[in-house]
Amino acid sequence: MRLLSYMGQWKSAAKEVLDRTAIVAKFLCLLHVTNNYLCSPTLVYGPSMLPTLNLTGDVVLAEHVSHKIGKVGTGDVVLVRSPVDPRRILTKRVVGMEGDTVSFYVDPMYSQTTVVPKGHVWIQGDNTYASSDSRHFGPVPYGLIQGKVFFRDYVFVVSEFFIRM
Amino acid sequence: MKILRIGSNRCKTQNKAYGPSMIPTFNLTGDMFLAERLSIKFGKVGPGDIVLLRSPESPRKVMVKRLLGLESHSVTYVVDPMNSDRCDTIVVPKGHVWVEGDNIYNSRDSRQFGPVPYSLLEGKVFCKIWPPKEFGSLMKSGMKDPDL
Repeated sequence: MRLLSYMGQWKSAAKEVLDRTAIVAKFLCLLHVTNNYLCSPTLVYGPSMLPTLNLTGDVVLAEHVSHKIGKVGTGDVVLVRSPVDPRRILTKRVVGMEGDTVSFYVDPMYSQTTVVPKGHVWIQGDNTYASSDSRHFGPVPYGLIQGKVFFRDYVFVVSEFFIRM
Repeated sequence: MKILRIGSNRCKTQNKAYGPSMIPTFNLTGDMFLAERLSIKFGKVGPGDIVLLRSPESPRKVMVKRLLGLESHSVTYVVDPMNSDRCDTIVVPKGHVWVEGDNIYNSRDSRQFGPVPYSLLEGKVFCKIWPPKEFGSLMKSGMKDPDL
């Protein structure tokens, strides 16, 4: 008799556990989908985008919809997967789209002009003195763009829970 | 429902390939195959694998080609097989891969647009599912003769 009552308790407890787990799982899925396909807070650091972005780190909101519908253009700050190291994501500004003519300084005395080939973009950091970008590794394919930065988050504390690289 | 969607996106996708660049592995008119994405994320692709990659020339297009060389590999390829037998050798730069279609006479691949960044790879094809008489896993047997 006792055994039956224990089983009853276990059953209801197990059901509750499963329900709670299902809610957490659904929330995590929603978070995952939002982070990957809609909008995500990202921590960016490094000197290459001074003075726009901080050296020691800024949390920015990047949205992942524009580059899929082709709405990335000149002047946008984008997150780009590095063509040199596939595990790194860079934050740079798009200076030229395909077909544009781009001039850049190889060294302070000598400037060079190139036309951006089809399907590629030319990216440069705002801080040209300390940025490794298209001036070094050439135009990058548009398909490497991961998202467009549209907002800098000053509320660091809240975003700390959602930080992803 | 969301779990299913994430599972299928993370693990594998089903795709249809058409075009002449992968004859005889894939038909001109379209074959269906299964591709998985985990290998790419963990770096477990190697020469001889058939991969899905986003085209560096048209970002909306996803192509199916065979991977022939990873970074720092030395790749020898026939520059223009329709007109001459001239071969060229190139060392694949860091962070890039060299892809070629199986049908080198009619394929637009790394011989035209150069080595592609590794991040453009989207999946590794592991199994063909349509037409049913060609159902089966795609091993590395379609690889070109390295002595050529």
